[in-house]
Amino acid sequence: MLTVGALTRKELAARLAGPGLYLRTGPFTSCIRSNSSALLDGICQMYGAYAIDDSGFADFHLRLRRSTGWRRWIRPQVRFDNDGAIPFEPMPANHAFPMLEWMLNWCVSGSAHAYLIIHAAVVEKNGRAMVLPAPPGSGKSTLCAALASRGWRLLSDELTLIGLDDHLVTPLARPVSLKNASIPVMKAYAPDAQFTRSALDTSKGTVAHLKAPDASVARSAEPARIAWVVFPRFQAGADLALAPIAPARAFMRVAENAFNYSLTGARGFEALGGVIDGCSSFDFTYSKLDDAIALFDAMAEAPQ
Amino acid sequence: MPGFWRIAPGQRLAARGWNDEFVLYNNLSGDTHLLDGDSMALLTHLQQAPASLDALVATFADGIDPDDAAALPETMATLLAQLAGLYLIEPLVTPC
Repeated sequence: MLTVGALTRKELAARLAGPGLYLRTGPFTSCIRSNSSALLDGICQMYGAYAIDDSGFADFHLRLRRSTGWRRWIRPQVRFDNDGAIPFEPMPANHAFPMLEWMLNWCVSGSAHAYLIIHAAVVEKNGRAMVLPAPPGSGKSTLCAALASRGWRLLSDELTLIGLDDHLVTPLARPVSLKNASIPVMKAYAPDAQFTRSALDTSKGTVAHLKAPDASVARSAEPARIAWVVFPRFQAGADLALAPIAPARAFMRVAENAFNYSLTGARGFEALGGVIDGCSSFDFTYSKLDDAIALFDAMAEAPQ
Repeated sequence: MPGFWRIAPGQRLAARGWNDEFVLYNNLSGDTHLLDGDSMALLTHLQQAPASLDALVATFADGIDPDDAAALPETMATLLAQLAGLYLIEPLVTPC
């Protein structure tokens, strides 16, 4: 299996500038074309362990092009198109890598309707997956990154893909998106991890990506059964608190966090019902990552 | 208040319940509703056959506190209106 890391930087740049890099992430192949050096840097840093799919088929076709004309010199920009459509405004050229990540999320959440897609991080340990749905600012990605740096398998930091028939989570382990204060927090918490250069002044503030652990990427074909749904909330100075949520209420809250619950109709209802039947749900408040991880480790070690 | 109520035609009442709370997928609207046990019991009853408010009150009055029983017609009427608002039930219109 050819991986991105097996290519020289020059070979990778040639693929991006020419026929496209057919990048395999989880169950999807994306054909990425670009002449952006910032994007090349990000892919080199973050995607070395990922397979290149040489079948010639891609689920998504993305192109990120540097601006031309005067824009090459004055506040250079990068423009994204998906199969020829341009759904978003151009962004500063040095935002190319976060833009790619957002576009990949956009492609998946907008078209992968063979799954019930929850806006949630998901990690796994000892064969049991923990789904972490939460709005931006709740500390979801920070908690997910911390868990991934302490032995939990990263399945996704943003999109939980639940099979409509088997109710299992299909991994989509990609770089973890960190924003603002969570960037220095994670750099201190996981000093050996690899981070992209921070992109400043994006629509989400300062953004950096944390490389997914190679061990998680290597297990991208292994689905996982959901054992817990945990709605996290970071609150400075708060004691650790884990409060059970009644299953029917957990169902409604997870559905509210789904991108395509309405589209999947009765099948989505049945799939989510199956998930809730088989798991425990909690509201979780934390202020210290170590405490949170110790609690979750104990849950993962407890007999089923 | 209509004479008889029935489940909306085509409504499949696909539901899952835990500890007297239920989620119900409304296949007619595509919405999912969080329902309590009383609402679900009422829907299940109407699924068997259309019923009038009086008949429903008589059925569900069994075994409840007398004070609650006195308020049951009004409570039941409110519940029926709420379920109709969700397009789960509807008045049964009979030809003259």
